[in-house]
Amino acid sequence: MFLTRSEYDRGVNTFSPEGRLFQVEYAIEAIKLGSTAIGIQTSEGVVLAVEKRVTSPLIEAASIEKVFEIDEHIGCAMSGLIADSRTLIDRARVEAQNHWFTYNEKMSVESVTQSVSNVALQFGDDDADPGAMSRPFGVALLFAGIDRKGPQLYHMDPSGTFIQYDAKAIGSGSEGAQQALQDVYHKSMTLKEACKSALTILKQVMEEKLNSTNVEMAKVTPEKFFHMFSKEELEDVIKDI
Amino acid sequence: MTSVLSDINQEESHYAPKQAYFNPYEQNGGTVLAVAGEDFSVIASDTRLSQGFSIHTRDLPKTYKLTSSTVLGACGFHGDTLTLTKILQARLKMYEHEHNKKMSTTAVAAMLSTMLYSRRFFPFYVYNIVAGLDEEGKGCVFSFDPVGSYERETYRAGGSASAMLQPLLDNQIGFKNQHGVTKTPLSQEKAIKLVKDVFISAAERDIYTGDAIVLNLITKDGVKVETFPLRRD
Amino acid sequence: MTKNKLAPTVTGTSVLGIKFNGGVVIAADMLGSYGSLARYRNLSRVMKVNDSTIIGCGGDYADFQYLQSVIEQRVIDEECLNDGFGYTPRGLYSWMTRILYNRRSQFNPLWNVFLVGGLQDGEPFLGFVDKIGVAYESPTICTGYGAYIANPLLREAYENNPNMTLEEAQKQIERCMKILYYRDARSINKYEVAIVTKDGCIVKPPVQPETNWEIAHLIKGYE
Repeated sequence: MFLTRSEYDRGVNTFSPEGRLFQVEYAIEAIKLGSTAIGIQTSEGVVLAVEKRVTSPLIEAASIEKVFEIDEHIGCAMSGLIADSRTLIDRARVEAQNHWFTYNEKMSVESVTQSVSNVALQFGDDDADPGAMSRPFGVALLFAGIDRKGPQLYHMDPSGTFIQYDAKAIGSGSEGAQQALQDVYHKSMTLKEACKSALTILKQVMEEKLNSTNVEMAKVTPEKFFHMFSKEELEDVIKDI
Repeated sequence: MTSVLSDINQEESHYAPKQAYFNPYEQNGGTVLAVAGEDFSVIASDTRLSQGFSIHTRDLPKTYKLTSSTVLGACGFHGDTLTLTKILQARLKMYEHEHNKKMSTTAVAAMLSTMLYSRRFFPFYVYNIVAGLDEEGKGCVFSFDPVGSYERETYRAGGSASAMLQPLLDNQIGFKNQHGVTKTPLSQEKAIKLVKDVFISAAERDIYTGDAIVLNLITKDGVKVETFPLRRD
Repeated sequence: MTKNKLAPTVTGTSVLGIKFNGGVVIAADMLGSYGSLARYRNLSRVMKVNDSTIIGCGGDYADFQYLQSVIEQRVIDEECLNDGFGYTPRGLYSWMTRILYNRRSQFNPLWNVFLVGGLQDGEPFLGFVDKIGVAYESPTICTGYGAYIANPLLREAYENNPNMTLEEAQKQIERCMKILYYRDARSINKYEVAIVTKDGCIVKPPVQPETNWEIAHLIKGYE
């Protein structure tokens, strides 16, 4: 490692002469080792689908969680280091509740994403801020939610950059999945179609055979807000693909 | 015997060292009043700032425009009013920068409540009324106590003449305790006329209310401000 | 908690201020009272801050001297930057309001009332700040006893003649200072006037107006 990147690797906040922060870039690379997650935004709502890597038959698959409820109107899917994601998800939940407490209104999806991205770059190897991370977070997040602007999907990476997407894939299968999303996505897509496409694409990029225990799917709609698919509901979608 | 004892006690208390205390509060008077209609609201205040029997100035409106659809009325201790409105305006700007949108009247009210409660044990001695349009474009009025308890209402008077104005509003807008009246919805014209009338009445009896009225009419087109004189004695 | 000041010691009485066409006048007498004792007879209670700002002070004189030294130091620091920026009357007024409000909130007040006067963007400015952070602007302001005796006279004069000249404003101030000397037991027949105009500001040398006690012997019943 030192042979290729030399001393600019040592400080996590040291720019290389080419103007790069290697540790942040490595963190982005780390996402590509994570399980695939897909988000699709439609006019009827947003869907999040992730693969769960059940690496042993002795694993209780239900204990692997990669889709979270932030608030009743916002969900979040992750890829990368699960433990790192906890910190960010916790922050998102606290910020959403704080906003509701102070303003008595739901926090917008963009604002939640912004508040989490503020944490993303709070790392450093000095002692200035005890409790802060010493390295970048090794996670990418997909925020899906409903607010005044309608259904929205945001992607955030370890550099704290966040961008709104119609459809986005992250994780190990993201390259192929993103291409597939580009091919199937259209503006008039129904939520039902989106759910089906999400699982279809997941199935294509997953190493294991897709079934109702090794995927997680959630949708956020104006009617029911955040809703996690049950095993039965998942099977309902899977049988059509 | 008892009278001798009490005499001695009185003597003692007369000579007992007195703790000179500092009072961080003052009552600077003033009245605010807000009325919500179907698609508008009116919020008005007088412009007198007083202290005891002196009038500090005859030209200090106690309404503060916060956004194009929200106006705050605040009276009580003027030092706290100045500070509170300054912090509010800063918080409002911060919200607009953070969330890329204008703060709604309901959000302003909720935030004000938390700001007031954060000073629960050294309160802002300010009576606040927030008026404006809600997110559906309906007129709304929120009234507060100095430590942040608040509720949405259709009309509310606050400040030095509130006890005179509120019953008038109960009668004229709330139609309280009346039989066989048709509860007609409040028109803009009637609301404005009513507000003017009740302030003239308050200025008649309350020495802390007078000099002029500043009246804000809040509609979807923004805030229209009107002033007219009150008695100055 | 350290023991905070809960009562003023050496105090100044009323401060008067009035706007005129093109400037502001602030006046205060030169007595420093120690309770009912006329302790100091030559204290200056008006101050020039810069070429466009003046202040006048009532209440505790030690607290005034403290704030005076803070302001003077800040003016020097500003001048050293030599960037053409200086404290404006409105800026100083707002800053003083914050200082006094914060001190009262820590239960350690600066026991004063201040008038801030000046010219800002060519317009006269006159503001009031007190020890608990109450602040307001007005074309005429009087503090202490002057609030009862002088302010009604100044208000009337201002309403009848809102564009008065400097000379007319000074006349009104002189009249009021004289009346205050006759009526306020904590006053003295010696006062200073500070004036701001577009040509800068000055604190004029102390004046001791002529008084007339001819009718004094007619007042009976208080012996």
